[in-house]
Amino acid sequence: MSSAVASFKSVKDLAGAPEDYRLALRKIVRSHAVNELYGARVFDEPAIALAPTPYLKWLACRIAMEEYGHHVRFRQLGEQMGIPEAELTPEGRKPLSIFEFPMKTWVEFCVVKLLADLAEIIQVEDLEKCSFLPLRNLAKMTMPEEIFHSQFGKDTCTELVKTEAGRKAVQEAINRYFPMMPAFFGKKDSANNALYRKYGIKQHTNEAMRADFMKRVTSLVEGHLKLKLPEVAEAA
Amino acid sequence: MSGRLADFAAGLASRPWFARCGLALDRSEIADARAWLAGLGLDAVPVERVASWRDAARLIQQPEWSREWWDAETAQAESLRHAATALLGEKACLEALTDVTEAAAALRDRAAASLARAGLDDESLAKVAGGAAAQACHQRGLAILAGVDESHAFAAKFRLYAAGRWPLGIVGSAGFVF
Repeated sequence: MSSAVASFKSVKDLAGAPEDYRLALRKIVRSHAVNELYGARVFDEPAIALAPTPYLKWLACRIAMEEYGHHVRFRQLGEQMGIPEAELTPEGRKPLSIFEFPMKTWVEFCVVKLLADLAEIIQVEDLEKCSFLPLRNLAKMTMPEEIFHSQFGKDTCTELVKTEAGRKAVQEAINRYFPMMPAFFGKKDSANNALYRKYGIKQHTNEAMRADFMKRVTSLVEGHLKLKLPEVAEAA
Repeated sequence: MSGRLADFAAGLASRPWFARCGLALDRSEIADARAWLAGLGLDAVPVERVASWRDAARLIQQPEWSREWWDAETAQAESLRHAATALLGEKACLEALTDVTEAAAALRDRAAASLARAGLDDESLAKVAGGAAAQACHQRGLAILAGVDESHAFAAKFRLYAAGRWPLGIVGSAGFVF
């Protein structure tokens, strides 16, 4: 579908784009700007206090800065597109369910990075082929940091599961956090997603991205960490 | 005060970040390290040099690192935040500190360059050092906004970074500077 769709090289070019293309872009840029900041506030910044060593505290500082930096980049693009500043921050918005997880421990933070950043990678991979070039470039720019964050989750969880107590704590955190993940990809047969695909803003359906996540997360959690994923309803 | 902070943020790129890591400590660096730890209200401890990136990475993962040191820095930062907010208002403080944070984002690259000069390619350690330096910039920024003088612990700590060092904190019974 997307191969026949025109691409737009700059914000200026959007003046000649269909109105619903511009609206769809605004939704997706707004969503990324808000969610990057939400994640930094509820997970990454609090993780600095929870980290068990100065090495991990400073690494958590850096990760928080990078997530905040992603917000800044999406916000700047949104502002260039004429989205009001108030719509580009989380204030007054209902958070996604994954941000309602009451994170209280370092182990939980490691599991958040393991699961949520993998989900984020799948979303950003899809944007790397976006028909709007500034958004495509932004996805390519943020991807190396997203990969590092996800790898950080994998590495820290791999260390933690080496002890029985750590293994139990990681499994418990997965049991509580993982059920929130499938909904992150949006509803089945979503009208927004259909619009995104019509214009080549996104390439895949929500169901396809959710299925990709399930495949990769199963390999990570059950194949690599030798833990169990709880049963969840996959369709949102 | 926020104008002074803008100058501080603009000047961050010109500092020799991590350029003297591992070299022998000179007198002024030892004095700054002592002033940093004394300014936090901690008991005096000997100041020791760390010789390599690998030693620095090992040291800051030791279980006997001082929670008292970290908590003292956190408490000082909180106290400065209250003072700065009372002086300038929350929004002005946040905006000024955002400029510092954005300027400090480049410090990871400076750490990676120093690691590369030492023949090391360690993305995680570059981010750790970059995170530590950014935290020090934020702390120094709070001190500037709160209007405290150059004898403050965070001013002394920042002078160590500005001289190309990485202050690593207290581990066991000594304060360490890389």
